[in-house]
Amino acid sequence: MEKARAESILKSALDQSKANEVEVSLGGGNYSLTRFANNTIHQNVNERRYQLSVRSVFGKKSGKAATNKLDPAGVLAAVRQSETAASTQPDIPELLPVPGSQQYRAVDAFSPETASLTPDFRAEAVAHAVALCKKNGLQAAGYFSSGYGSLGGYGEVSPLAMANSKGLSAYHSGTEASFSLTAMGEDCSGWAQQTSWSVSDINVEKVASVAVEKALGSSKPRHLDPGKYTVILEPAAVAELMVYMAWVGFGALQLQEARSFMAGKLGQKVFGENVSIYDDVYHDLLRGRPFDSEGMPRKKVTIAQRGVLKGPVYDRITANKEQKESTGHGLPVPNTSGPEASSVVIEGVNAVSPEELLKRLDRGILVTRFWYVNIVDPMKVVLTGMTRDGTFLVENGKVVGGIRNFRFNQSVIELLGRIEGMSFPVRSGACVVPGLLVRDFNFSSGTEF
Amino acid sequence: MKELAALAMDAAKARGAAYADIRLIETRVENVATKNGKVGSYEASEDVGFGVRVIASGAWGFASSDDLSKESIERTARAAMDTALASSKVKEEELSLAPESAHVAKWSTPYDTDPFTVPLSQKLAHLFQVDEALRKVKGLTIAECSMGFVREKQLFASTEGSLIEQELVHSGVGMTATAVGGGDVQRRSFPSSEGHFASGGYEMIKQARLLENAGRIAEEAVALLSADECPSGKKDIILDGSQLCLQIHESIGHPSELDRVLGTEANYAGTSYLSLDKLRKLRLGSKFVTIVADSTLPGGLATVGFDDEGVPAQKWDLVKDGLFVGYLTSREFARVCGDQRSRGCMRADGWNRIPLVRMTNIGLAPGTWALDDLVADTADGLLMETNKSWSIDQMRYNFQFSTEIAWEIKNGKKGRMLKNPNYQGISTEFWNSCDAVCDKSHWWPWGIINCGKGQPGQIARMSHGSAPARFRGVNVGVAR
Repeated sequence: MEKARAESILKSALDQSKANEVEVSLGGGNYSLTRFANNTIHQNVNERRYQLSVRSVFGKKSGKAATNKLDPAGVLAAVRQSETAASTQPDIPELLPVPGSQQYRAVDAFSPETASLTPDFRAEAVAHAVALCKKNGLQAAGYFSSGYGSLGGYGEVSPLAMANSKGLSAYHSGTEASFSLTAMGEDCSGWAQQTSWSVSDINVEKVASVAVEKALGSSKPRHLDPGKYTVILEPAAVAELMVYMAWVGFGALQLQEARSFMAGKLGQKVFGENVSIYDDVYHDLLRGRPFDSEGMPRKKVTIAQRGVLKGPVYDRITANKEQKESTGHGLPVPNTSGPEASSVVIEGVNAVSPEELLKRLDRGILVTRFWYVNIVDPMKVVLTGMTRDGTFLVENGKVVGGIRNFRFNQSVIELLGRIEGMSFPVRSGACVVPGLLVRDFNFSSGTEF
Repeated sequence: MKELAALAMDAAKARGAAYADIRLIETRVENVATKNGKVGSYEASEDVGFGVRVIASGAWGFASSDDLSKESIERTARAAMDTALASSKVKEEELSLAPESAHVAKWSTPYDTDPFTVPLSQKLAHLFQVDEALRKVKGLTIAECSMGFVREKQLFASTEGSLIEQELVHSGVGMTATAVGGGDVQRRSFPSSEGHFASGGYEMIKQARLLENAGRIAEEAVALLSADECPSGKKDIILDGSQLCLQIHESIGHPSELDRVLGTEANYAGTSYLSLDKLRKLRLGSKFVTIVADSTLPGGLATVGFDDEGVPAQKWDLVKDGLFVGYLTSREFARVCGDQRSRGCMRADGWNRIPLVRMTNIGLAPGTWALDDLVADTADGLLMETNKSWSIDQMRYNFQFSTEIAWEIKNGKKGRMLKNPNYQGISTEFWNSCDAVCDKSHWWPWGIINCGKGQPGQIARMSHGSAPARFRGVNVGVAR
């Protein structure tokens, strides 16, 4: 939705309000996805969806309502419903007044070509990947998606535009394209994926060739006993771990409630000297929305520098408790989970190419990606999960063959203290992270394939 | 609405669709949560839209919109046709559907009290009452309570003549007590880690009995901080019903989805160890293990009159006395496993998502034991309650679960409380180690409200009925 149309809808909601304060946001967009498996496109979908959310405030009372009926009657109904909800709720003592007008950094993340990608374009790309798989005796499964706006992967709606009764006005519309391929044989599989704000960055040929190479290289997997191994975790595997670490430990509320690994350790060196972690939505590979769900400008936040913990991300309420400024990581108000670090970046220190990193591994395991990661111990950031779609034995700096998949149980804090090498950071999901060469990674059990 | 549905069908047929259906859906949601005596979050939303699914040139197409104008209906039907024609450029064979009669019907979730007629103040009063009971316990750090309600009105129409109206209503409530201290965090939830969610109205809230259990749950959370760590080694374990719910879900439910067996989830959710050659041959579990799929289960979160491609709700066995005998199927895939008709497992997460094969209500049939007798019959074991963490490989062999709490069992006596319990196994070995299931008086349809699958992602809800059961010689204390 264009800025003028979005602002018009938001203004109509603001104009109808009878509350002391009102905050309105509009989210949504257009999203298409072509999905394939068994060398066949089996799903091909398109959706257009927008949602208006209204938060009315009377003193310390706050009420919300959301609707996708954006005609005048629908907007008015949502405004009135939010007012009724506010009036029937008790005071929230910590509730802050809505913020005033803010300045936002410009983020160029809209690619017209990506916004208008056709099903035929995506089908042609899929046909290329399928052809390469078939040529190598493999089955192809994956997807090619494209769209614009602020729809999440599960259809969740975050703000595209915001406004409030104190003059705040924000708008950001980005595009995104993603191509993912799993190439599968009888006893093997290989995976690769690329995501960018611009489809011109997506190299379908490269993604396909990497997935096929991994599949062919992992056939006839050998059995290795579980145990501690030196590993190379490719960026997708690293990103998966960091998403969970950020979820349980990078937010100020967890720290204030003493249930974050950061509790009592700010200013201390808890990771290796070579570990610097940021939340940076402005990273050139991410180019995300420059404001949070409270309308506050997103800031680049240093979580850790040279192994020393610097601090968490804040929303307005957690910042207010410590007389600090919000870092722009707030979720819709009110919420129970606190601010969220959603754009994790790990700096590449003395980074080399993936090929060079591989040469540095005398004997160990190369992990393409993890699957079904979950939290075992939030305070120690112990995670469990499985390897998947390309797990290899490496000897003398070379991949010598595929191995059966492992389950891991590993503290990410300890892992970040045992990094012996990094490859150049790349985007994986909503993170920008390097591949990591790590000692003593704990594989606790094996599986049947 | 019916006029709009007819318009979409006409538009698809006029452009050459071999088959088309439309789902017009209006959804209302209300979620409210409290935290430490205050309103933690509140959201209320209304959402309306439609999705058109077509088969053209032997391939699927789908498009959806929240614009219900006639122009939009026709435009969206055309977009669905365009995507189908694009799909047809990359295919191995022609798509066809198992036959299904045309159904003209109406179906509604039975309920006593429409939850959307209950004032927010009444809902909050109940949550604050529970919150207060939790916080009375000394040492408790965080008390969280929540309620959620969903009403979905659907109209399904197809070019085969089906016209089905359904109203689905789900209600639920739950509480969590968290204790923080000494560098440790411990949590207890009730009735399960997801609360108590079921199909039905506001009457479900009382069923959950939060107030009666709040003191005990909070005391257990605090006590866990100073409890001993769960030991490592092989133990006989008794899982409570709420943990078995997730064990069934992950290690039998997902693997029996025929679409993932056939590879359509290979890039994301994964494939399955229940390949077609295992049907009616694999001894998945012991003779005490019978798993029933049931879309008609009273109170089940997947209980419907018809699935999202117009197939009536059914009940059938997935595992009978340990033998794997059935899949969860759709009209597209049913004939692959030898069935002549779909089992009616296609469900979509709203109007903007295409239906996928989803778990319906899947339960472990009750056995004959009383829980006290089962504990008394166990020499060296653990009684494990309430899921805390879950993980399983993409073919669904190797799983690892953590529970919130466990009690040691020595010589038939329930003893000391243990923290951070977990166990790991291989699905078929684990289910074959089951030697006892508790009786119907212990059986409860536990609800799951966040089952993810598909690209783009979809969330589905379902219930897993289960009573406590015992498993012999399981690896515990594995996360070290």
